[in-house]
Amino acid sequence: MSTAQRRDVQPLGDLAETLGRLLRNTVFRLSLIGSLLFGISLLVAQLIVYDTIVSSEERRVEQGLIEELAELESLFAQGGEAALLAARQNGLLTSNTPQSVAQAIFDRGAQQTLQRVITLRDLSPDVYSMFVFKDESATGKMVTDEIEALKINAPALDPYDKTDLLREEVIATVESSDPTEDGPAFEERRVLAIGHAVFQNDQKVGVIFVGRDVENIRRTGERMRSAMTTSSLIAVFLGVLSSIFVARRFARRVDSLNKLATDVQAGHLDRRAPRNYSEDEMDRLAEHLNGMLDHIDRLMQAMRYAGDSVAHDLRTPLTRLRTRLETAAVEAGDKPEADVLFAAAGDADQLLSTFDSVLRIARLEAGERRELLKPLDPKTVLDDLAELYEPACEDAGLAFSYNVRDGLTILADRGLLSQAVSNLLENAIKYAGGGGGTQIRLSAWKGARGRIHIEIADDGPGIPVFERERVRERFVRLDKSRTLPGSGLGLALVEAVADLHQAELVMDDGLGSEAIQDGETDHKGRPGLSVKLVFPRVKSSRPVEEA
Amino acid sequence: MRILVVEDDEVAAEYVKKGLSEAGHVVDLATDGDLALEMASAADYDALILDRMLPKKDGLTVLGELREAGNATPVLILSALGETDHKVEGLRAGGDDYLAKPYSFTELLARVEAIGRRSDPTAAVTKLKVGDLEMDLLARTVHREGQKILLQPREFRLLECLMRNAGRVVTRTMLLEKVWDYHFDPQTNVIDVHISRLRGKIDKEFETPLLHTVRGAGYRLQPA
Repeated sequence: MSTAQRRDVQPLGDLAETLGRLLRNTVFRLSLIGSLLFGISLLVAQLIVYDTIVSSEERRVEQGLIEELAELESLFAQGGEAALLAARQNGLLTSNTPQSVAQAIFDRGAQQTLQRVITLRDLSPDVYSMFVFKDESATGKMVTDEIEALKINAPALDPYDKTDLLREEVIATVESSDPTEDGPAFEERRVLAIGHAVFQNDQKVGVIFVGRDVENIRRTGERMRSAMTTSSLIAVFLGVLSSIFVARRFARRVDSLNKLATDVQAGHLDRRAPRNYSEDEMDRLAEHLNGMLDHIDRLMQAMRYAGDSVAHDLRTPLTRLRTRLETAAVEAGDKPEADVLFAAAGDADQLLSTFDSVLRIARLEAGERRELLKPLDPKTVLDDLAELYEPACEDAGLAFSYNVRDGLTILADRGLLSQAVSNLLENAIKYAGGGGGTQIRLSAWKGARGRIHIEIADDGPGIPVFERERVRERFVRLDKSRTLPGSGLGLALVEAVADLHQAELVMDDGLGSEAIQDGETDHKGRPGLSVKLVFPRVKSSRPVEEA
Repeated sequence: MRILVVEDDEVAAEYVKKGLSEAGHVVDLATDGDLALEMASAADYDALILDRMLPKKDGLTVLGELREAGNATPVLILSALGETDHKVEGLRAGGDDYLAKPYSFTELLARVEAIGRRSDPTAAVTKLKVGDLEMDLLARTVHREGQKILLQPREFRLLECLMRNAGRVVTRTMLLEKVWDYHFDPQTNVIDVHISRLRGKIDKEFETPLLHTVRGAGYRLQPA
């Protein structure tokens, strides 16, 4: 059940992740903005076309209506009667016509001119309604006076007041031009009507309207609007699609460069960026990167060669020196010179071991061996070291405690990790043991964010806070430790190993500070030292290899 | 043992030759790769000490050609390149042991004697005996004068290493490599402490000590 659910949820999570990744992609963002801008400009262009074609046509119609309204008004101003008479004389209206008849005549009149029937909403029986129909082909005007038809005495028309221009869209039911088999079909058409309400002595006496069929214009406008919306949406959609396409294409090329950088950082100096020789900026970037890498590689090789030759050239005479001293010492047998000669051989060893450490650190810093790192359980390494060093600790009068958790995983090289922890343990034995300390603790645990901590803590004299950065440097030895043997490279080597493992070397007060926290005020001037190697969380869940 | 030393540094080679001769071995010298190959093929040596960096033909090539020709003489590789990866490379090419320069002569002697003896065909031993100290490798028990001695696993391996090289010096570095598999030299006396614990178990209650410290070199397990 749960797996099925997870399978359902997974694609959504992937989608969200993909989207998140896309939005972090600069090219995608840029081309998305580009396509949105394009969509907007397309819309603006279409609006201009719309305005030119549809809106201006509507304005033209409206303007015509306003002019016609003015004509009609002047007709009224001259007196409605005369106009009515003229209409009668034209045989369009008869007096005493009942409403139904008037309607029929009205309809007929309408048909004669425009072939349509208009039903104005908002018209109540006591309202003067005057309609003017104008066909574009017809030259004359038809004036209908319903007042007469309804046998209502028309009041004098002057003086009268009028409202501001009223603009209304009304629906007219018109006989369709192509009738169906069942008889005449009707369709509803939109009419733009412009007019005034007419007042006389503060009494609303009527409405003057001029109407014009705008159905065709409106339909054209609607079709254009829908075409505009659709085309803009399609343009934006295609824009987004092409953004994704371009972004992915570009991201692949950037990713290949990023991967190259990661590989090079991991010590694969032989990797090069793939090129397509198109000479575009990405290709040029790849070319420059490759050039830089070639250069770095040459430098590294020169350095390595120099290092190796120095190693060889110096070690051979040093070996000879050491062998001579040793041979002489053995030959001296029980004579007092033997001590001096053995001591001299020991000095030569010290010199050689320093030299060896410098070379080791240089090689570690070159990061060559990062590829050797494997996931391993630190416990397998620390168990062996604990076993090796516990007797030495006790010999130095230090209690050794060991607290390493099971099931931890770090990415490490067994040999290097062993050497680093061994150096730290030896430091602890040397400085805590020689400085009045009583205990050493080796522990490992999983800390915040899955990071693995390996800690070597003691209750010796410790290192003052302000010296803690300095002691990491090569050949730095604190004044107090000058009397003890050592080259000042131990911690530098640990730091180099830590860097190679992308681990952090953290120094802090040691077990003495815990004693203080536990309420013991007297740590006898020994805050102790805690040195921690903090390893990053291992991301892959590869099984832990047995070390 | 008859040993061929291949080393281009003649002064160092002379010292090695002198030291090995004093230890009772017969030593021949070769100063370049071609000569080394010729000499190693012509005579039957018990062990070869081979420098990696040689004029004419480098050490690993010489080793490869020897092994290809079916010559199984044990080889100790010497090199100034003391890093572990070079070591692995050398051992993979067919070397039996690897020693980084600078080495102490006792270290070299101990190692050559150890590999020289390894060529002994009686390799499948199940019991080791030094004086009255007996080790059963199958039962993993140790007895001295019929008395059972209880050892920790690591102490057992430490003693095994010493017993397999009985009568010869085993250096601290060798012990660290063979018993703990560490390829670095600790600055402190870690090995000495382990040896002193082992000594407490196998020597303390008995009359004649078996485990001896060799000054400036290492340890030797030897009856009386």
